[in-house]
Amino acid sequence: MKDRLAAAVTQSRADYTEIRVERTWSSAVAFRGRRLETATVSEDQGGFVRVLNKGCGWGIASFTSLDELPAMVARANELSRAVRVDDPIRLAETRPQLADAILELDGDVRGVPLAEKKKLLDRYNGAMLAVSNAVVDTQSSYRDEVSEVWYVNSEGTSLYQLRPEVVVSGTAIARRNGTIEKGLESIGLRKGWNSVQNFENQFRVVAQRAVDLLDAPRVRGAAYPVILDNELAGVFIHEAFGHLSEADFVYENPQAREMMTLGRRFGKPVLNVGDNGAAKGLRGTLPYDDEGTPTQDTPLIKEGILVGRLHSRETAAKLGERPTGNARAISFRHPPIVRMTNTYIAPGKKGVGFNDLITDIKLGVYACGAFGGQTMLENFSFTAGWGYMIRDGKVAELVKDVVLAGNLFQTLDRIDHIAGDFTWNQMGGGCGKGGQFPLPVTEGAPHVRIEEALIGGDV
Amino acid sequence: MIDRVLDAARGKVDGADALWRREERTAVAFESGRLKAAGISEEAGVNLRVLADGRMGVAGTTAAKPDPTELVARARASAELGEVVDLAFPAASKLPPIPTFFDRTANASLDDLIRMGRLLVERLARPDCQVNVAVQREVADTGVGNTAGARGEYRTTGIAVTADITRIAGDDVLMVYDQYVGADMPSDADLEALVRSVETRLTAALKIVTPPDGALPVVFTPAGLAAIVLPLEQALSGKTVLQGSSPLAGKVGETLFDERLSIIDDPLTPGRPASRPVDDECVPSRCTGLVERGVVERFVYDLETAARAKTQSTGNGRRGVFGKPHIGYTNVLFRGADGGVPHDAPLQMLGGGLIGDIDDGLIVDDLIGVGQGNVISGAFSHPVGLAYRVQRGEITGRVKDAAVAGNAYDLLKRIGGFGTDGRWLGARWSPSLLLDGVSIARR
Repeated sequence: MKDRLAAAVTQSRADYTEIRVERTWSSAVAFRGRRLETATVSEDQGGFVRVLNKGCGWGIASFTSLDELPAMVARANELSRAVRVDDPIRLAETRPQLADAILELDGDVRGVPLAEKKKLLDRYNGAMLAVSNAVVDTQSSYRDEVSEVWYVNSEGTSLYQLRPEVVVSGTAIARRNGTIEKGLESIGLRKGWNSVQNFENQFRVVAQRAVDLLDAPRVRGAAYPVILDNELAGVFIHEAFGHLSEADFVYENPQAREMMTLGRRFGKPVLNVGDNGAAKGLRGTLPYDDEGTPTQDTPLIKEGILVGRLHSRETAAKLGERPTGNARAISFRHPPIVRMTNTYIAPGKKGVGFNDLITDIKLGVYACGAFGGQTMLENFSFTAGWGYMIRDGKVAELVKDVVLAGNLFQTLDRIDHIAGDFTWNQMGGGCGKGGQFPLPVTEGAPHVRIEEALIGGDV
Repeated sequence: MIDRVLDAARGKVDGADALWRREERTAVAFESGRLKAAGISEEAGVNLRVLADGRMGVAGTTAAKPDPTELVARARASAELGEVVDLAFPAASKLPPIPTFFDRTANASLDDLIRMGRLLVERLARPDCQVNVAVQREVADTGVGNTAGARGEYRTTGIAVTADITRIAGDDVLMVYDQYVGADMPSDADLEALVRSVETRLTAALKIVTPPDGALPVVFTPAGLAAIVLPLEQALSGKTVLQGSSPLAGKVGETLFDERLSIIDDPLTPGRPASRPVDDECVPSRCTGLVERGVVERFVYDLETAARAKTQSTGNGRRGVFGKPHIGYTNVLFRGADGGVPHDAPLQMLGGGLIGDIDDGLIVDDLIGVGQGNVISGAFSHPVGLAYRVQRGEITGRVKDAAVAGNAYDLLKRIGGFGTDGRWLGARWSPSLLLDGVSIARR
């Protein structure tokens, strides 16, 4: 395959040409309530060509028919030449890479019979349904894939990557009369079959929580001191700050660049944030990004100060910085754009625990788990799965519908205490940007305290 | 392709249906006011569902030359693990005539698309603002068929023009966005409406004011309404009704909403990209009244869910290349009995003429995190993405750092007014709605 792509690149008349071909084997099982929805095996394959010419813009072609490859290279070249630009597009220099990068499969999912996968999911789904009669519905899904990705460009890079992924998730829906609540468990790993065994208890716990939430009051809307658990703190840093650190937001925008000047203070000295696409075994991990740049650990905030950002080759060239290996595409159907990988808040002092964070809070909220988050850059939301009131330094009653309203400049700067209990949260789902969803990412964080954050709700 | 796949299935299974779709997209993107990229994509795939020994299985492929025998074998393997279902494939029937293909859209050249984008960029340019514009045209061929003899074939066109402006002033980030989506090319008036919509909302947002707090009247614009309509769309799906998770299950015939509110699923609206003569399971398209004058009338179904619920499909079967058919809405219309009838309304003031009597409240045009909570319960709580304060009947400025919350089912029991600004937003048509007693929290 590499030779076929190299030949097509050689024949290209464009100044710069890159070709990515993917072949993805996947299987999926889904339950809804007690009923199996589907059990399927699929193969998806296709190619992506992107070319650049002097004084011209990007020409892009994606296709499922690989026989068309040479024709598609020619089409992309025509498209590029139709786009005249005054400000030339440049790519930051990178060293050509030659490698076969095979990630550990940890139990090759292709060798496991579909019936076994159904049995596994049936167990997790059954564990949720067995919790209570109030659990009226579930949505459970198992999905695995092994993706082969070939990447060749006209600067001499030639890569083959084997990327596994497995996601098991379950939503338990509890209902009593008109009140409906849900609990969500989701495990996503860039690994294989061995890594998703023995999670019955986690699924039981979320179903029980959905039932418990039936009796919980809605949180009252107000500004509170808030402690985020590891999972929500991870989603928080992804939404609150991660997206702002993606350089495609600033590289063409002088006002944005000024707002995000390196060296600006964004938080107190306790705050350290980074993005590490090279971390071992995580869902956002990739040896190379989709422009063939090796991934790395990129510090973004050091002791409260902005020190870096995430780049593609194009954004790095424009800002005179170095590519960070963050150009990613969800599939051959899309161009690579600047994305996060594994984003983290570094742990605070060793030995600092949850109790140290809660002890001096008179009235506050302990926000736990994550249903999701979304950003509009300055303002963002992050939706907890559930929460507890904090009263007089102690965890008090369970509350629901805990949604935090964040502001980049106010919320980050109000993080005043960070515990030492760091964990990576290996969730399924993923990140959405520019019509590309779901991109596998991971977030990691310890417990984090925000002096004051706005929580929506009845007032 | 459909016939080859169904022929391969015959004799090996009890019954089968299939969908074949080929899509071609052409897109141009302007970033920060400059043309940056042009692209095409071509994709074709086939999805097969079989019934074997009463059990259902599916298989799909994007292979350039799919092997029908291999596809049938994979669908049969899927059926071996599948559930028993008493599903009857619909027989051949006459399909409603509905225009889904517009030559002007299909024949638009790359230069036409670039010209349209450039025009918008020029019209929207202003100092200290970054303008992004994207134009995407799609032409698709769809074929559906089953072993009961039903066949459907149609071509569709679609065009989406999106424009967004980002204005950063100090640490204030303002984002305003709008779109034109249709099956036919936008007219000059359509593009003008898009420009004025973005301009109107940008201009009203330049001044920042303190948000109010308390339970107050809020006008949800068609764009801002997403958090309110999402629970209804979930609860009106036959799937959630069957599973017992819909709060509307068992309520058919009851008046649960304001008596002026009607909700319709209409695949036959001319000129909409989601319109089609037949669904993805060979069921002829027809209009379905879901809520009529406040009364819950009907839920939407695909073949399988209808079979399990012992009712008929409403023609809402949708399927992709991979996975099995599921329930999908086509064009959903939220309308009021007086006014609020679908038409291409002339440009309206922000708020749809509903703010005159508001002493203190909000216009909500965008909320952050919609769809991420416990949606079907009706409870929502979201920070505002773009919202304006209304005082003594006038917009006084944009509010930030506020969150709105409420319960969609409760709020829709009494609607304060339907705006005169009804419009399409993707596949949904609605006017602005004035809802009273929405909780607003601020820092």
